[in-house]
Amino acid sequence: MTWDAATSARLRKAGRAIILYALLIGLAIVVILPISWILASSFTTRETVWKNALPFSWRAFFPEEFTLDGYRAIFEKDFGAALLNTFFLGAVTVILGIAVGAMSGFAFARLKFRWKNFLFALVVFSFMIPGDLTIIPSFVLVRDLGWLNTWQGLIVPGLANGIVIFLFRQFFAEIPQDLIDAPRVDGATWLQVFIRIILPVSKPALISAGVILFLGQWNNFFWPLLVAPVPELRVVQVAVSIIGIEQNVNLWEQMFASSTLAMLVPVLLILPFQRYYVGGILGSGLKG
Amino acid sequence: MLKSFSLDRWTPVFFLAPAFILLLVFRYVPIVLGFEEALYTNSLSQAGARKFVGLANFLAVYEDPVVWGSFKTTLIFSLVVNPLQVGLALLLAELVNARVPGIAVFRAIYLVPIAISAPVTAIAWGLALDPNYGLINGIFRSIGLPRQPFLQSPDQALWSIIGIISWIGVPYWSLFFLAGLQGISSDVLESARVDGASSLRIFVSIKLPLLRRIIAFVLVTDTVVNFTLFAPVYLLTRGGPQLSTHLVMYEAYRRGLVYGDIGIASAIVSVLLIVVIVFVAIEFIILRPQH
Repeated sequence: MTWDAATSARLRKAGRAIILYALLIGLAIVVILPISWILASSFTTRETVWKNALPFSWRAFFPEEFTLDGYRAIFEKDFGAALLNTFFLGAVTVILGIAVGAMSGFAFARLKFRWKNFLFALVVFSFMIPGDLTIIPSFVLVRDLGWLNTWQGLIVPGLANGIVIFLFRQFFAEIPQDLIDAPRVDGATWLQVFIRIILPVSKPALISAGVILFLGQWNNFFWPLLVAPVPELRVVQVAVSIIGIEQNVNLWEQMFASSTLAMLVPVLLILPFQRYYVGGILGSGLKG
Repeated sequence: MLKSFSLDRWTPVFFLAPAFILLLVFRYVPIVLGFEEALYTNSLSQAGARKFVGLANFLAVYEDPVVWGSFKTTLIFSLVVNPLQVGLALLLAELVNARVPGIAVFRAIYLVPIAISAPVTAIAWGLALDPNYGLINGIFRSIGLPRQPFLQSPDQALWSIIGIISWIGVPYWSLFFLAGLQGISSDVLESARVDGASSLRIFVSIKLPLLRRIIAFVLVTDTVVNFTLFAPVYLLTRGGPQLSTHLVMYEAYRRGLVYGDIGIASAIVSVLLIVVIVFVAIEFIILRPQH
């Protein structure tokens, strides 16, 4: 009797584990399948690119005839320049965006001033309104500033990021008061405290903010499409979309190759920094 | 003692000025500018043709069947995509909250779509959903399903776009729910389990009510974000076929930046902005710390 009960309990547990893993694996396939197909197809010639997709064969996930034609072709078309442009934009945005965000996050976490709650509400409100919603008047503004087709048009409007400010405020608020009091008693200015004491102990917040700012710039599409249409300032998402849609012929292997590169960078960035990235995303919503 | 720490009144200004100058100029001025532009006829191509027309642009928004239709399509789209994403994200979070061997690997895999941009996701899925060559129809055929037109059919295009963006959206929003689930005290769950409650019962009667605030936050934020969906429509369907994917943001882009009618485009976006501000106000109320 007890043996039967124990067995059926164990069976039920095993059954539940099988269902759980089946679901987990099924969903993992939904994620991996398109990515691995894109990756494999990017190393295939234009003639064979669709061969194993329809009718479908598992060989679709391996290059039919390995070639770098797709990659060679996109690099001949300045895709490399688009990659460099985007890395440059990302780097500048990370440095300046962290400076701007950390400074105001510090003020909100550690300084006393009037209208603090109101000003902080302005920060929160700014990231609850999606930037794309005001993209047309923003375009008009940047055009009137004479910033169309300039680096500053691509960089400056996105530097003050509400989520990043929020993130730094949360993090700085947790830093022990003693760490700040001691140098203040010794006569250090707030700027010295900020640079010498606060920033060095804030690596997790700096990484989170850096990843968020970099990915924001790397994955940005609508804004650069509007404000910087010239080829010299082309960014990676726009370059992919141009290969993808604005050709008269279907350059399949190039579409696969450019999509692969555009995917690869954020995926390689996010995996080692998972914890920081997730922490950064969550910081924006929950603890408010 | 504390008095000696009293602040130089310019210190906060120094720390806040860069962020607030940028926020005001590039986030708040455009909001005001958008409402203002909506009151003028303004053509990108004819400089100097700017003329005050009051609410005429809003009337045009209401009377133009294509513009008004884009609002209706967006409404239907919102009513489907947001509950769908929130529901699936909740289930995904519950699934990856299981403490089983290898779960960290699955969590890492599900994080991958979040890092990939909407344009690249759209292009990749557009290739996979190609009616004549695509991988998905290949898989359909090998399991005996008929070939589907997906993005090329007025009946399926909007659904295809909903599926494509949910590939990013569901794992993204599930992060919030997972954090919420992990914050539930294990004592509560353990005592329910001892009382003989099933997993389903625990999920519905204990976990969901405790996640109420997070669900509200995600639902509102997801709705607001999806109002501005642009890249997949621009890249895959251009609003078609037969306007079936003609969402508001794409219509605003087409009017404002393809046809150069900034006035109408601003009126379209202003209507959306008012709706969003109402939503965000509701969100502020929901998320106000409860004492």
